[in-house]
Amino acid sequence: MSLNRRTFLKAGAIVAAASALPRPLMAQFGDAPEPIPPIDDPRLKDLTARALDAARAAGAKYTDVRLTHTRTRRFFPLFTFDEESIEVGVRSLVDGYWGFASGPVWSPDEMARLGRESVHQAKANALGGTRVVELAPAPVVHSGNWTTPVQIDPFEISPLETQDFLASLDIYVQRVPGSSTQQNQAIGETQAKAFASTNGSYFAQRSYRMEGVLAIAMRLTKPRKEGGLGLGCLTPSALGWELYSAAKLPLVREHSIYEEIRRGMEETRERLMLPVKPVEVGRYDAVLDARTVATLLDVTIGRATEIDRSLGYEANAGGTSYLNDPLAMLGSFAMGAPTLTVTADRSVPGACATVQWDDEGVEPDNFTLVKDGILADFQTTRESASWLADYYGKTRSRMHSHGCASAPSAMHAPLQQPPNLTLTPGREPLDFDGLVKGMDKGIAINAAQLDMDFQAASGLGTGAIFEVKQGKIVAALESAGFLFRATELWKALHAIGGGVGSRRYGMSTQKGEPASTSYHSVTAPPAIVNQLTLVDPLRKA
Amino acid sequence: MSAWNDRPRRLIDVDRILSAEECESIAHRVFAFARGDGETKIRLTSWWNGELRWARNRVSLASDRRDLRLQIWRDVGVGRGNVETNQLDDASLEAAVRGAERSARLSPLVRRPPEIMPPFPAFAQPKTTIWADATYGATAETRGEIARAMIAPAEKKGLLSAGYLEMRAGSLVARSSLREAGTYAPWDVPYVQWTQAQCSMTVRDAKGAGSGWAGLSNFDWSKIDAGALATRALEKCVASQNPVALEPGRYTVILEPQAVADLVEIIVESMNRDSAESGRGPWPLAQDEVLRLWRTKLGLKVIDERISIEHDPSDPALGILPEPWMKPITWFDHGVLSSLSFDREYALTMLNENNARRGMIGYRMTGGETSTDEMIRTTVRGLLVTRFSNIRMLEDRSLLATGLTRDGLWLIEHGKITKAVKNLRFTESPLFVLNSVDQLGVPVPVFRPVRSPYATELTPAIVPPLKSRDFSFTSMIDAI
Repeated sequence: MSLNRRTFLKAGAIVAAASALPRPLMAQFGDAPEPIPPIDDPRLKDLTARALDAARAAGAKYTDVRLTHTRTRRFFPLFTFDEESIEVGVRSLVDGYWGFASGPVWSPDEMARLGRESVHQAKANALGGTRVVELAPAPVVHSGNWTTPVQIDPFEISPLETQDFLASLDIYVQRVPGSSTQQNQAIGETQAKAFASTNGSYFAQRSYRMEGVLAIAMRLTKPRKEGGLGLGCLTPSALGWELYSAAKLPLVREHSIYEEIRRGMEETRERLMLPVKPVEVGRYDAVLDARTVATLLDVTIGRATEIDRSLGYEANAGGTSYLNDPLAMLGSFAMGAPTLTVTADRSVPGACATVQWDDEGVEPDNFTLVKDGILADFQTTRESASWLADYYGKTRSRMHSHGCASAPSAMHAPLQQPPNLTLTPGREPLDFDGLVKGMDKGIAINAAQLDMDFQAASGLGTGAIFEVKQGKIVAALESAGFLFRATELWKALHAIGGGVGSRRYGMSTQKGEPASTSYHSVTAPPAIVNQLTLVDPLRKA
Repeated sequence: MSAWNDRPRRLIDVDRILSAEECESIAHRVFAFARGDGETKIRLTSWWNGELRWARNRVSLASDRRDLRLQIWRDVGVGRGNVETNQLDDASLEAAVRGAERSARLSPLVRRPPEIMPPFPAFAQPKTTIWADATYGATAETRGEIARAMIAPAEKKGLLSAGYLEMRAGSLVARSSLREAGTYAPWDVPYVQWTQAQCSMTVRDAKGAGSGWAGLSNFDWSKIDAGALATRALEKCVASQNPVALEPGRYTVILEPQAVADLVEIIVESMNRDSAESGRGPWPLAQDEVLRLWRTKLGLKVIDERISIEHDPSDPALGILPEPWMKPITWFDHGVLSSLSFDREYALTMLNENNARRGMIGYRMTGGETSTDEMIRTTVRGLLVTRFSNIRMLEDRSLLATGLTRDGLWLIEHGKITKAVKNLRFTESPLFVLNSVDQLGVPVPVFRPVRSPYATELTPAIVPPLKSRDFSFTSMIDAI
């Protein structure tokens, strides 16, 4: 059997290689179209120059242009589907007003049209009241080139191999009677990008992202119970196929994917065996698993420290922020307990927001959003960094962008989007089980889903919630949820798990009008918060 | 270089979306590139967006964006493959077809042999109006003027406004190599072009102590009165300032049309016959003890008898994108559940019909004649709700959902609005709300724009305001 299978795979690989995609997608440099070249081809720089020249000639004070080539592959046990597109977007600044134009054609004429159109869009609004835009200085990038480090490029590996791998997960799950996969799929994306600006910067950059879903349904016979789990270690990551195939991945999983499945199913089985109790509304000390802490961090502090949201730029869309007076609050506002420190970066390998340069050509820095419980900074771009100029002047720090400008492709104008966030772990080497062990009476929360308000100030959490007694999970609470206010929750932070318990989760956010999506990662250890308000979310007033 | 010249130049230059002739030519080229037998299907959309966004009373971005998506499906043997691209020159099209064939060879999809399926009946495309020159013709200068006119009153009052204007146009064609003009599968779409406009504005005071919103979407920009929206958003902001805290609990609510539409959205998602007969969602009635089949609530009264919800693809005030097999459908007929959506596979196997019924995309909800003022005047104690936000369904059986009030919530006492109150979180089912109706007002269009640029469905809705009893608010929130 195994020999046959191997022979089949081998034959399949030859078939796949023989029928490999001829290069689709054409660009024009001279008179004739040709297949688009690798993103570091110097002729792409000439192409971008056409847009910059046209915009400059039309009166732009500043212009940047991005070419993106985006490939997406959807992996299933029986299918593999590809998507591929190219885009170009030009953004210009005229008299303090931004204009943007984008389209799907890479040709010299189209570059020039988009350059002119971006200026036209800006000028149509420059008739309004004065608007001052100061762009924080950005060092010129001379012909840079950077690629997300991945071990296995998901577009280079044979679809037969990936389909076979996913099918093997189905089989592995089904070996336990009563168990089956409800969802088993993966998505890989790679985007090659060329960036040029009238500052004189030019670079090429290629990013990768991989994520998967493996949802398992389980049916126990003694006692008769049904449940399920979603495998957390397939979280969106700046990785290749190694998200599935690596023996282990730092901060994501410590074991092979099969072992993770085995342990996940074993844990689910144990929890299904627990007695089920109705929720008793009240206040409880709670152990939060790393996923819950990461999600909480993301939707409270991560969302609230977006400077544009804080100043009302998202008021007509997702909302504003409880940090509604940034200049007055910076350096003094208590975000949480003194043990709370949150850092931001776009440099950690494997994290979704990691890049060498952002979508304005800025090399992002590592910075601290919350230091010892106090609000220390905001997420910024070149324009929005200048809104905090007074604070930077007061603290004698250099006014510069943190490099948080991002767009899903050149079809979209860049917006300030979240960088990777990290909650600094505690000193004690405690993981989730360790924190539960130390708790006399309380609750434990796993993989909470959060519904926030439109100022990131308060929310409702739902998820798997358990009763803890004398260091042990003793019962599952039926239909339980928790209500929280962001600052109260973080001030009630009683203990933070150690780095040993830290996990990294990829998150996506949607923002802006028109809406654009971006990915970043949040790394957090499990933690204990005191006096969390437990409710029954299904109970009406 | 014919490959390059074949590229639809008009997308770049004159017309911002693909014409019928261009789409036809692309379809034929794709079909011609197919190697061997088997069906080739395409779905081709192109779109243009003219957008303007502002915040703090100044335009923060104006944009012009165009793109297209071509999806190709190829059947090879028992497999079906699929690729997607946004390039239309011959080299890219051929590569995409090869890619779909390669994907098909890797995909052992078991399909029903086409010869045992009944043929697709002929159908006439419903006549609709979903194109407006007022939308397509609006320039960047027009949008700039509109925004300045909307901003001015707010700025004059020292308030901060943020808003968004969007004018879009698009084309769509979905075709198969097996079907020539005249016969269509439910998923085929003869060439159609459409427009859509949206306008929304939020006004806040400088301290963030009050917030008002107004918005509207329509295929025809000339049906949207931007000045009236700006006035309403501003008035709501002023009237909502410095709200007082109110105990959560059960209240009589007067829901403005937008708030009603926000709740009905949860019902829209649930209207599926297959899930109902599998025992999922709100519409299964009981399981047959012997056959183990689920009977549904079709034919039973499930909401207030004054309410009907229907869509008619030829309704000129609505503007639904016409698709084959689309007929006027009444989803709720005077409170009785009268239709659920199903696909052709379901129709053939379960109903023995060669039919399909798409979901509740755009809809019209009937109302009554009570004005909102009259609803307020006749309320002893209640709340007036502008709209809801951040809604999530918690339980699919009852459609119990949670969400928040936003941009204006007022207490009504003895027939008068007495004070602005802080926003509340609700835990309530839209079915309960539509079963506890006291009064209904005149239906009006609401804000319900298409969310994704690639989405080709237009989602208009015409909805009345209503007064409902015992709406459950479960906690107070500070967010404004």
